[in-house]
Amino acid sequence: MNKLLNKSMKAFVLYAGIVLACSIPAYYAIIDFIWEHELKEHNRIESETTRQNLQALSLTNEELTESVTLWNKLRPETQLQPAAAVRPDSTYNIYRKNKYIPAKGWDRFQGLVTYFTINGKVFRLTQEANMEESHETIIAIAGVTFLFFLILLGGLIFISRKISEKLWRPFYNSLQKIQSFDLHKQYAIQFEKTGIEEFETLNHHLEKLIAGNIAVYKQQKEFTQNASHELQTPLSIVKFKLDLLYQSKPITDEQSELINEAHQSLSKVTRINKNLLLLAKIENSQFSGKEAINLSALLENHISLLEDFLEDKQLQVIRHITPGVVLSGNKVLVEIMLTNLIMNAVRHSNLGDTVMMTLTERQLEFSNMGAAPLEEKILFRRFGTSSPNSTGTGLGLAIVRQVCRLHGWQESYRFENGFHIFTVAWA
Amino acid sequence: MKVLLIEDEQQLADSIIRYLSGEHYLCEHAKSYQQAYEKIHLYEYECILLDLMLPGGNGIKLLEQIKEENKDTGVIIISARDAIDDKIKGLQTGADDYLAKPFHLSELSARIYSVIRRRKFQNSNIIEQNELKLDLLAKKVQVHQQEVFLTRKEFDLLMYFLGNQNRVLSKNALAEHLSGDIADMLDDHNFVYAHIKNLKRKLSEAGCDNYLKTIYGTGYKWEI
Repeated sequence: MNKLLNKSMKAFVLYAGIVLACSIPAYYAIIDFIWEHELKEHNRIESETTRQNLQALSLTNEELTESVTLWNKLRPETQLQPAAAVRPDSTYNIYRKNKYIPAKGWDRFQGLVTYFTINGKVFRLTQEANMEESHETIIAIAGVTFLFFLILLGGLIFISRKISEKLWRPFYNSLQKIQSFDLHKQYAIQFEKTGIEEFETLNHHLEKLIAGNIAVYKQQKEFTQNASHELQTPLSIVKFKLDLLYQSKPITDEQSELINEAHQSLSKVTRINKNLLLLAKIENSQFSGKEAINLSALLENHISLLEDFLEDKQLQVIRHITPGVVLSGNKVLVEIMLTNLIMNAVRHSNLGDTVMMTLTERQLEFSNMGAAPLEEKILFRRFGTSSPNSTGTGLGLAIVRQVCRLHGWQESYRFENGFHIFTVAWA
Repeated sequence: MKVLLIEDEQQLADSIIRYLSGEHYLCEHAKSYQQAYEKIHLYEYECILLDLMLPGGNGIKLLEQIKEENKDTGVIIISARDAIDDKIKGLQTGADDYLAKPFHLSELSARIYSVIRRRKFQNSNIIEQNELKLDLLAKKVQVHQQEVFLTRKEFDLLMYFLGNQNRVLSKNALAEHLSGDIADMLDDHNFVYAHIKNLKRKLSEAGCDNYLKTIYGTGYKWEI
């Protein structure tokens, strides 16, 4: 992931790089143009000087021929040759091997060819000047540009770091605060005053958003709790009335059966209600006390408490319980978690199935037989697995998850060798 | 025996009173903190059923008052708040028992029965019924002076029946009594049937009359 600062930095550097890279041909073109222009002028001045001086000498024809021969011998690069007719001046630019210092390799020359007459004879004067070679110019310019680019880059990084750090500090502060925010913990975030309009707006709206979230969350939890409380009285009334109805005489076997069935559904509603209340309480952090729990003993104790149910289904219980496993947690909640996990295994077992309960130093595992894997995603969700035909409330595993979350344990499910395996791990 | 019911919900109170009246309890009713306070001052009760959430005051405060006035009165808290803290606080303040709503009326009746027995006989508690003799403290049962060995659950069931004599008890209520909340996590409560069968067999083997009758196929009744 890119950091904000790096992103703007990248753009700057890229831009600077492009500009500087473009400047290399531009500089080259300008320098070369100036060079050429200057050398052309130089050649013209030289040629003109040569012509005027020669014409001013008023030499005889013999003297002129001698002088020209001498001239050409002394300065072979400046050729003074007789020509057929006066032609317009011309310039050229060539690369030539250095004749005198071969180590220098190729040299670049700017030349001017002029024609003039002395004593009625037409002469052609070739005036040349050594010019800096293109590649040398480009290398020099590129080198300097690159050096400046490095300096610019260093400066940019340094300056933007300094400025950005200062500039974006409030933003990063806010970011850190939001990261540490936990809706379940229910405390609002206080942002520092920044004095910068944009950040103030951002923080203000974040505060509003968070406060709104907390309020809604609180309301929702309170609603669950209140609704559960409110339901308890009517549920009690129905239960009492059914109890009284059961005592009234005479009732038939059929009526008795109807009352029993009503009781069973009522029990389910009561249990859902109790579990919702329990979930709300866990979320409201109303279970705060922690103590050292001997999980091994507690589990053994629970299994014996639930013996009736295990026997009812004639379940084969395979226990591997490491003795003396001690865990820090809320005892009430851990007991509920154990009950839920055991009863979950019992409820979904068929007559005579095998149930495994394994406790090690690091984790607790309950397995019961099954045909096909279940969907883990919805398994621990509220009412994720509820069905109208089962006595299960669809909340048992959601409570297990909440208890695990509260203690920082990890609950998981997997399907292996025809067993549904529910694991709670704490190490 | 006089029982005071402190409960603000009329419908609940009516049902409780109706059920308990059939158990030969004389039931009085207080709807508010103030009413309850006055009645506690004026009269003596064997057992007080106390709802913790009352209009006009806190049930726990009332409990403190009761314990100050008359130490022999048994107190059972019946609360809609199934909070562990409330339970612990209530029991620490001197309540004898705690029942979270909703419960079966037969459960309440059995609890009252136990509490009154415990209180009245100063903890040397023997229940005698014809050839049957129960020692509540030692949890021992005798039939014709011969000890019958019952499991804890069988003893619990027996006590439950004695607390609800001549009442039809549903398998549902018995299951809840034996295993509390967990009972309604499962459909079938065959274990109840197994325990009752064992209890019946042990009692009849010791020569006890058959008081325990099966009613309507799924209910049971202790007939005397």
